[in-house]
Amino acid sequence: MALGAQRRTELLRGVLDLCLLAVMDEGPAYGYEMTRRLRDRGLAIVGEGSIYPLLGRLERDGLVETYRAASDGGPPRKYYRPSSAGRLALGLGVSEWRAARDAVDAVLAPVKVEVAS
Amino acid sequence: MSDFVDQCRREWRRLGVPDPLADEMAADLASDLGEAEAEGVSAEELLGSSAFDPRSFAASWAAERGIIPEPPSPGTRRRRPLVLVAFTALAALTLIVAALLLLTGQPKVSLVRTRAAHAGVLPVPPAPFVPPGTTRQVLLHANTSAPVEWILLFLAVVALGFAAWLWSNWGRSRPPGIST
Repeated sequence: MALGAQRRTELLRGVLDLCLLAVMDEGPAYGYEMTRRLRDRGLAIVGEGSIYPLLGRLERDGLVETYRAASDGGPPRKYYRPSSAGRLALGLGVSEWRAARDAVDAVLAPVKVEVAS
Repeated sequence: MSDFVDQCRREWRRLGVPDPLADEMAADLASDLGEAEAEGVSAEELLGSSAFDPRSFAASWAAERGIIPEPPSPGTRRRRPLVLVAFTALAALTLIVAALLLLTGQPKVSLVRTRAAHAGVLPVPPAPFVPPGTTRQVLLHANTSAPVEWILLFLAVVALGFAAWLWSNWGRSRPPGIST
């Protein structure tokens, strides 16, 4: 794996749970629907592990609630939405992410980037 | 797509995932893969690198849901046999040394006393003359040291038995699918 892709994977690994909580906070979603919402924002998970084990962990930790319902003309799907604990975790996680992002930005801001053509 | 789900089902069955839960996960996965395929999205875009390893994917999903125990970290997997190997080797070495000491008829333990005046602590053979302040070497013969070797032998046998139990227990408790 190229260095850039590897770094991106490592960065995503730490915040993918927040991203999942965020997209399901917009409205209950099943697995593939969450992948679609992430992809629409430019966040493809190629190279990253699947979201399913992560959804399983969120469910086990009580951060999401699930229910089954029919999708648009399709088979019944398992929908996920954040629980109250999940919303709290999302809020805390977003604060941590922003603090970390600002600190890293402060360090990296003076760096002049030259893109080779 | 269905082949991927079938392999997951086999892995869940092998891992002892209850059928209702396996059915639920398989149905969700099949539906998502079918929808992705209909939209021209590859399995890799949906599953990431897991698309090439259905067994690990299935085991990971079940473990994260808390249905099966989580596999140990790679470091733990490597460390545990090393500790067991070292322990077993030490026990075997102790057994061999104790057996050799018991089989040989040579004096086995020598104790050194620094002063003749202190020699009375142990049963010292009578000496014709010992100047005060000189060093004497006291040799305890086989019949005196034998209990120590028997104790060593006993401890070694117990340790080997414990090591054998650890090996068999570790082999059984390893989660299936961990091939190392």
